[in-house]
Amino acid sequence: MRPALPARRRLLAALVAGTVAAACVPAPPATDDVPSFAAGDELELPAAAATSVLRRAQQVTVRIRSLGCDRFGIGSGFVLPGGVVVTNRHVIDQPRAVTLNTWDGVSLEASVTGIAVDSDLAILQLSGWAELPVAELRTTPVEVGETVVAVGYPGGGPATVTTGSVVGLVDGELLDEPAPVLRVDAVIRQGNSGGPLLDEEGRVVGIVFALEVGTGYGLAVPVTTLLERLEGDGLSPPSGSC
Amino acid sequence: VEGKDPYAPAQPSPPVAGRADAIPPPPPPGGPPPTPPPSRRWPLTAGLVLALVLAAAGGGVAWQQREVAAGWRDRAVAMERARDDARGRTEALQRQLDEAGEVLAISEQDVAQLEERIRELADEKAQAEDTATTVQVERDVFVQLSTTVAGAVDALDLCVTQLFSLLDDSVQAFNDAAAGRPVDVVPLNAAKDATTAFCNDARAAAAGAGAAADRLLR
Repeated sequence: MRPALPARRRLLAALVAGTVAAACVPAPPATDDVPSFAAGDELELPAAAATSVLRRAQQVTVRIRSLGCDRFGIGSGFVLPGGVVVTNRHVIDQPRAVTLNTWDGVSLEASVTGIAVDSDLAILQLSGWAELPVAELRTTPVEVGETVVAVGYPGGGPATVTTGSVVGLVDGELLDEPAPVLRVDAVIRQGNSGGPLLDEEGRVVGIVFALEVGTGYGLAVPVTTLLERLEGDGLSPPSGSC
Repeated sequence: VEGKDPYAPAQPSPPVAGRADAIPPPPPPGGPPPTPPPSRRWPLTAGLVLALVLAAAGGGVAWQQREVAAGWRDRAVAMERARDDARGRTEALQRQLDEAGEVLAISEQDVAQLEERIRELADEKAQAEDTATTVQVERDVFVQLSTTVAGAVDALDLCVTQLFSLLDDSVQAFNDAAAGRPVDVVPLNAAKDATTAFCNDARAAAAGAGAAADRLLR
């Protein structure tokens, strides 16, 4: 039987082996992986086309001129895909002719395709519509406290953008609406009617239709009501006669 | 000892008191130095061989490590050069970003100003269209009023003509009666009733036109 090495010898052997191993520094990797930069490289910049939400909001909002049987109405509206335009029923009451003005001055004729029977909403169809910026509808309900943006043509003047928040909901039955109405503290004036109320991401959450007497808060039909009307529920054709 | 297994266990020796079995007895004073027992020479030889092997290995390792060190130096130089290039590249890119940022800011400002101007022009156009629409509506109303007034005037004019005709017929009947000629008053009365009815309608049309004009002027 081979006798075990004494402890001192084993320690010495381990030290020698360790020293040799520690002294063996591995060779460096090849310098091919060292990054090289050519001085003449050009920076590839991203396309500078970041359209802001507010800019987009203005672009999807149109000015509506309605010539009725015995009245001349000015209001706001917004464009949806397919040349569909949404506004208030009271803006295009008994319409004989409806004309839209886009933010950049294009004038378009439109016809009324549906008037909500239980809500202050009306659906128009652009005749010969071109490529217009369109709004996106939000399908999730808006919550109290959310920041909102109201866009419209108050007083028939230039487009304005006002920001505020949803301060509460109003019982829809009080306003002849089928669903609770949004109460917002964004500045709303006559002429904003039919204009979109948007969230921070530029999605439509409501349609401005009235001012609350006393508080001055703006009132907006929730987008859920519009979504139902766009599916054809609760719409009637225009009367067509004065 | 030759041919004997050095690793063979030692033969047990008879027990001796103390540690006399582990320590050799000291040499006698003044005597020759003791020669190591032949059984202890092989570790020295093995140690020398091991030392030589280790020395040779160490030399090889040293040579190889010099090469490695040279490689690391080269790599360090390359990395330093790459670092300098990267810094230069970073500075160049930063300059490009600054320039692009300035251009973008100017461009954004230009776009914003142009869009604002577009909105102003669009608003002016919309206002002009409002005015045109209003003027068109007023024109339509005036045309309608003008037509109504013209119809009333025509009716009144025809009424006057019929009244003159009725007057002539009446004078003629009066003269015939004065001359003793027979006079048939039935057609005269019929003409009178027809003229009266027509003139009443004409007066009503004129009154309606007047009221429409009044409403418009208000």
